[in-house]
Amino acid sequence: MKRFPWEAILALTIGIGLGIFYAWTIAPVRYINTMPNTLRSDFKDQYRILIAASYSSSHDLARAKSRLELLGDADPVQALTAQAQRMLASGQPFDVVQQVAMLADDLQSGVAHIPPTAMPESNISAGPPTLTPAASLSATETPQVAPISSSSPTSEIVSTIVPLTITPRPTQTLTPTAGAPFILLSNDIVCKPDLTDGLMQIYVIDSRGHQMPGVEIIITWDGGEEHFFTGFKPDIKNGYADYIMQANVAYTIRIAESGTPVPDLTAPTCTDSSGQTYTGGLHLTFQQP
Amino acid sequence: MPRWLFSIIALAIGLSLGLFYGWEINPVQFVDTTPASMRADYRADYVLMIAEAYHADQNTDLAIRRLAVLGSDSPANIAAQALQTGQSIGYSTHDISLLQELTRALQAYQPAPTPIEGTQKDSAPTGGAP
Repeated sequence: MKRFPWEAILALTIGIGLGIFYAWTIAPVRYINTMPNTLRSDFKDQYRILIAASYSSSHDLARAKSRLELLGDADPVQALTAQAQRMLASGQPFDVVQQVAMLADDLQSGVAHIPPTAMPESNISAGPPTLTPAASLSATETPQVAPISSSSPTSEIVSTIVPLTITPRPTQTLTPTAGAPFILLSNDIVCKPDLTDGLMQIYVIDSRGHQMPGVEIIITWDGGEEHFFTGFKPDIKNGYADYIMQANVAYTIRIAESGTPVPDLTAPTCTDSSGQTYTGGLHLTFQQP
Repeated sequence: MPRWLFSIIALAIGLSLGLFYGWEINPVQFVDTTPASMRADYRADYVLMIAEAYHADQNTDLAIRRLAVLGSDSPANIAAQALQTGQSIGYSTHDISLLQELTRALQAYQPAPTPIEGTQKDSAPTGGAP
């Protein structure tokens, strides 16, 4: 009768033990040359913030898109939107949140959004380019302007202007125009029996019609006041917020940053097809001019 | 067949099976890595994004904080390495200039001196005392 090969079993066990000891203690795995899609979730969040920050500088949507693809999100727009909401909820700076939300919005629309108010130091004007000594020019521009003398009325102003190629390049962090008041663009009564009674739907958009998350809204009524923000329901719109009105109560609504108060907002009374009355809603759209 | 040879063969078979399982059936999944472990070209692109943002906001402190996740090396060195990588893999002139701008800013960066508590008080002049 053959003897059971205990020696072989023992050798195998010792070999495995030695292998594991080597792999875990002597030469443990070192992660190098990894891909962005393997990053820990908080680093992925930082990566998205950076993509959004660089996008707000370059407005290169294709590049932002390809960078987002590296993170391996099933739906990059959804990932960005969800992150913007998380950032908003955790009280992160509005301008950073807005960059993330703006990128999500532009990816969804497929159009790069260049805010008109983001170039305070830019030398780009609506008309033909003019050169002044104070103009700030980028490295790609090569104007040559002779010093302008005003000492004598007969002195000649000599200027040699070589063809100028202007590279639109925002020089500031993109933030909404401070102080520009929001205006009420539309105020519509919504009579839909399937809608929550007294639902006030608010949309806040910028001058180009882009949704604005993180905008504070103040609603007041006789004996009460409440503050809330747009952007907490990204599945509807980034610039959306809502509030449930009580019947027969007059509300005043105002965009916190700046805006004219809109008074006397009340939930309308609607009638359904069977003649029964119910409390309808309002659909308000505010725009920053 | 000698018994020791039988054991060696068993060991080899076991190792082969282990390797096949580890490499083919259930290979290592890299998860929860840090930006510092990223491949050089991804690191360079990460730094480029920081450089693009820096170009717009000119916020050196923020750029340094963002670079900190790429390792314990100095921010200027990290940016310089990214610049080198960018040059070697053919970044555009514009991207190179952005990286250069960031590298220069980091090399010239002087953090604001923070007064050490106590020291200032000890060395404060006592002028005015009779």
